[in-house]
Amino acid sequence: MRVFASCVYLVLGGALLSITEAKSATGDRVLVLVPKAESSKEYSQVIASLDKRGFDVTLAQATNTSVSLHNYDRRSYDHAILLSPTTKKFGAALTVNDFIRFVDDGGNLIVAVSSELSDFHRKLSAQFGVEFEKRGMLAIDHINNLKEGNASDHTVIASNRFTDIPAVLSPQFVKADADPVYFKGIGHKYDAKSPFLIPLLAGKRTTYSRLESGKSNTAQDDSSLSGSSLGLVSVFQARGNARVAISGSTDIFSNALIKKGGSGNHRFVDDILQWTLQEKAVLREVGHRHYLTSTGEQPEHYRINNEILYEIDLSEYHNNAWHPYSANDVQFEAIMLDPYIRATLNRTQSADTKSTAAYRGNIKLPDRYGTFTFRVNYKRTGLSNIDIKDTVGIWPLRHDEYPRFLSAAYPYYAGSFAMVVGFLALCMAWLWNAEPSKKKNAAKAKSE
Amino acid sequence: MANKVLGLTAVDQTSLLRIAILGLISIVAIGSRLYSVIRFESVIHEFDPWFNYRTTRYLVNNGFDKFWNWFDETAWYPLGRVVGGTVYPGIMVTSATIYNALHMLNIPVDVRNVCVFLAPVFSAFTAIATYKLGKEVKNATAGLLAAAFIGVAPGYISRSVAGSYDNEGIAIFLLVFTFFLWLRSVRLGSAMYGALTAVFYFYMVSAWGGYVFIINLIPLHVFALLVMGRYSNRLYVAYSTFYVIGTLASMQIPFVGFQPTFTSEHMAALGTFGLLQLVAFANFVRTLLPDQHFQILLRGAVFSLFVVGVGGLVLLTMTGVIAPWTGRFYSLWDTGYAKIHIPIIASVSEHQPTAWPNFFFDLNMLIWLLPAGIYFSFRELTDNHVFLILYSIFAAYFAGVMVRLILTLTPIVCVMAGISMANIFETFLNVRNLPAVETDASTDTTGSGAAAISVSVAEAKEKKKTVDTQSTSSGLSAHTEAGSGSKKSGKKAKGSNKTASKASGTTGSKDAANEDASTLDAPLTAVTTSAAAAVRKPASKNQPPNPAMPAFSPKRLYALFPKIVVMANFLYFLCMFQWHCSWVTSSAYSSPSVVLASRSPDGSTHIIDDFREAYYWLRKNTKPDAKVLSWWDYGYQLAGMADRVTLVDNNTWNNTHIATVGKILASDENTAYELARRHDVDYVLVVFGGMIGYSGDDINKFLWMIRIAQGVYPDDVKESDFFNSQGQYAIGESASKTMLNSLMHKLCYYRFNEVMGPQAFDRVRKQKLPSSVTLDNFEEAYTTENWMVRIYKVKDLDNLGRSHRAVSVLEGPKTSRTMF
Repeated sequence: MRVFASCVYLVLGGALLSITEAKSATGDRVLVLVPKAESSKEYSQVIASLDKRGFDVTLAQATNTSVSLHNYDRRSYDHAILLSPTTKKFGAALTVNDFIRFVDDGGNLIVAVSSELSDFHRKLSAQFGVEFEKRGMLAIDHINNLKEGNASDHTVIASNRFTDIPAVLSPQFVKADADPVYFKGIGHKYDAKSPFLIPLLAGKRTTYSRLESGKSNTAQDDSSLSGSSLGLVSVFQARGNARVAISGSTDIFSNALIKKGGSGNHRFVDDILQWTLQEKAVLREVGHRHYLTSTGEQPEHYRINNEILYEIDLSEYHNNAWHPYSANDVQFEAIMLDPYIRATLNRTQSADTKSTAAYRGNIKLPDRYGTFTFRVNYKRTGLSNIDIKDTVGIWPLRHDEYPRFLSAAYPYYAGSFAMVVGFLALCMAWLWNAEPSKKKNAAKAKSE
Repeated sequence: MANKVLGLTAVDQTSLLRIAILGLISIVAIGSRLYSVIRFESVIHEFDPWFNYRTTRYLVNNGFDKFWNWFDETAWYPLGRVVGGTVYPGIMVTSATIYNALHMLNIPVDVRNVCVFLAPVFSAFTAIATYKLGKEVKNATAGLLAAAFIGVAPGYISRSVAGSYDNEGIAIFLLVFTFFLWLRSVRLGSAMYGALTAVFYFYMVSAWGGYVFIINLIPLHVFALLVMGRYSNRLYVAYSTFYVIGTLASMQIPFVGFQPTFTSEHMAALGTFGLLQLVAFANFVRTLLPDQHFQILLRGAVFSLFVVGVGGLVLLTMTGVIAPWTGRFYSLWDTGYAKIHIPIIASVSEHQPTAWPNFFFDLNMLIWLLPAGIYFSFRELTDNHVFLILYSIFAAYFAGVMVRLILTLTPIVCVMAGISMANIFETFLNVRNLPAVETDASTDTTGSGAAAISVSVAEAKEKKKTVDTQSTSSGLSAHTEAGSGSKKSGKKAKGSNKTASKASGTTGSKDAANEDASTLDAPLTAVTTSAAAAVRKPASKNQPPNPAMPAFSPKRLYALFPKIVVMANFLYFLCMFQWHCSWVTSSAYSSPSVVLASRSPDGSTHIIDDFREAYYWLRKNTKPDAKVLSWWDYGYQLAGMADRVTLVDNNTWNNTHIATVGKILASDENTAYELARRHDVDYVLVVFGGMIGYSGDDINKFLWMIRIAQGVYPDDVKESDFFNSQGQYAIGESASKTMLNSLMHKLCYYRFNEVMGPQAFDRVRKQKLPSSVTLDNFEEAYTTENWMVRIYKVKDLDNLGRSHRAVSVLEGPKTSRTMF
């Protein structure tokens, strides 16, 4: 009984904790998959920091058959971290598709591999536009590498070639001489055309990729990838705002590299974790409305040339809470096949609340009727996508709303009135002149 | 004529009979249009009626004000359609009025049933209007015959069966009635009838775009009369009243608006109006000038004015002041025009030139009675007959150019046939001039002739009529004599009077005309009375018909013989006509096309209801604002039955939008997907007949889609790419690559060979299918029982930005789900 009670407390406590201290905007259930139970020690610092931030971490062996990402078609976890590069078969026969579905459903994913990665990982990361080098290849740098005393390990490279994305990386990485990040693992080719993928960390000019020393190294095993085209860590944000980080190195998550002095590793890993687990740079639309300026109400449909107000409230999540989002490039579009109106919305101070910022624009609707889409399509690198669409009918004027008594028509009015007067005059002339003779005729006829 | 039966004078008897016969004709007219309801159900047919039905429902639910200002966002997405301003509201307002009236009387009728039965009811009105027209131009006999003809003529039934809720359903009645009023106003010179003509013209304008026919034919009539030197004050009063009121009234319809002032179609009416004023002025001048000088002056002036007018019209049209003729009208002059310039018009089957057999199919024997009618009209050329001749010639021409204009031809054919038949009856049923009156034979002949009518009057068999018949039959021969006799003599007597009045053209007196009419009614008595008598022929035969019966003689029989032969012939023709009409109506014109019927080998009927199945699925399983892309043929049905947003529909007002849809269907999958996404399309609907052999499917219409798309996007779609190397329009392995990759082909044949087996065969094209059809960007959402309608969902963009091809490669072949 006591056991049961303590279980209940535990669950309740956990729930309370997660409510009060939830770090992520989307949820705090984290699944960490490691190759062996004892390897969790290697990543204890990362796991501890997750725990400390209030995540509900489930540590599991990758091959444990009870592990599944979905339960009755609903996500069992909000985030998954794969630290088991050689595993060919995850959990209860999880397929690449299961992981994709996990991301499609809004789950966030961190995939870390080593040079011994399995085909499963290769296939999985290919879905995000990341193509790893051949198995056994390593990112090598003979100049920029880890130097401890006289010894230097050319496989632990030091790179500070970051893609400057303030939403993802801390300001310290933006500097030209930022502390390097030590990286030991395999490089990858990233799809430079993909708007979803950011090569966060790439090799320096002297970095290249080759088979591990000791293994055969013929010319054909050489890779054409080197320097900045050799991706080391890339992050990906899906259309549905799920985030994915892919690292060619499991080691950067390990205690050994994190603790390295003089490196940015600790901060870098933190940035990746925070961004990927939706702890920062998360945007959301709290509400939006549009209405006639004149009445302040939203009609069933607008009429052409109406003056309307469009408002949207935006919040940004960081530091454990929602804050007003500040920007000057939020745009509104009224689209019917093509945009008829594109206007920048201005932040209005008065309407702001503690957690939201209101953006507002005075819009004059086009002189064109049809079914329009009011759209705010706000997509900025590293930030969550906001794509708000409203289908709104813009109707032509009612039959009695057209302007009357146009000055151009005065001649016609004059004409018609002249006609009326003339007709009346003619009638009168006719009546007064013709009557006597008619009467005479009638009298004549009668008499006859 | 003084014989009284049942206390009624002969005149009253004939009007009673006439009313009874017209009533029966109406019943037949309505009855023969109900095949579709009996065979299928009370359902709205085809395509356009679905729009009319939907708008009627809107009108009934929302009232006239909202209807007038209705902007339909769900049609022509995203352009929308200003329904209030682009519709001929006549039929909706008519139905809504009937609906509201019935509900005021506490008769709870569904809107749908009002709509379904509107056309048949109006066909009865048409019969009555045709009777009036026939009576106006000849006599009641001709009128009744014409009414009987139009009641069952397939050319008109094709557009007015129950459920065919289209503008033409009421427009033909309005057309005939407007012409009747016009002819009467010309004959009487009455401003009241002129105004009434204008009122019904307004109703016609509100109901059908075919009003242009009226506004061109009446001026043409006036112009012809002017040229023939038949100007009269009656004509002046009639046309001036009609034109001014009619034009002002017609401009109140938003769809017409200011068109009467600037489009070419209306210029003839305006020009004639001006000309008439000039002629009237000239006539006034004539009273002040010597006659002969004036004639020369007038002719010269008319001619030069005509030349100047036409020249001015051409000039103004060329400079763009007057809107040029629309494509549909060009295709009236040059049947090849549409095919080259406006494929969207040519693609509609009812805009094709008429094949010869069609005339016979739709009009049967009436078509050869038409020339006879024209001949009879020429023989006795009144103002009205000029109109009939003009109408015949123009309607015949237009009917030859466009299949659907047989509809406007039908009324005049019926009237002309009525005139011809009336003439034949009058000639051959007249036994008065025989060597000696022989009643037995005459009963026979009248009997046969009457039987002919009785056939067209639909087995006039009412039991209670027999009472009438019995009582009237005794006076039969008297009527016959009086009728045919008085006709001759009356003709002679009035003849001089009449021709005189016509010749002078100014002294046309109402009295003479009225008397004429009543005199001409008399022969009808003979026919109609005997028609009734024929029903009870045995009885009437046994009765002593007339106390003063002359004896039988072989000489008289010999003289009668040709008459009997002719009448027997016509009796046979009339029987055949009625039989043909019933057969055509039941077999060709009573299918709703929404529901199909097929006959299985054992003779039982099998109903194919795939269309409604698909529309119902959409209605129940998709978001209310889901956008469904289909070829425009199905737009109105989708809006009406599925209640979903459509991109294009049967109101083909925007050729570019239709071409875009054509391009989507003709492009390869990726281009199509991009375009479909751009238009927010959620579902794509195609009609496929390959499974059950329904030949009106989208693959057969595909060439038109390609042509229309090519007209707007000549760089992206090319018709020649869709033919294979042998230049054939193939769909199987031998088809061209463009064809196989086109979205339409893929959507139609996707997974088709799974159900048809390895020897998959298209039952319409009679070709083998391509072995496999892959589909990446669209997924099958629903396929109906007979595979006639297939609905596909446009996939969402991939969450990870991959191509759908890559996704389906990753996911491998889908496990086939159960489909039915």
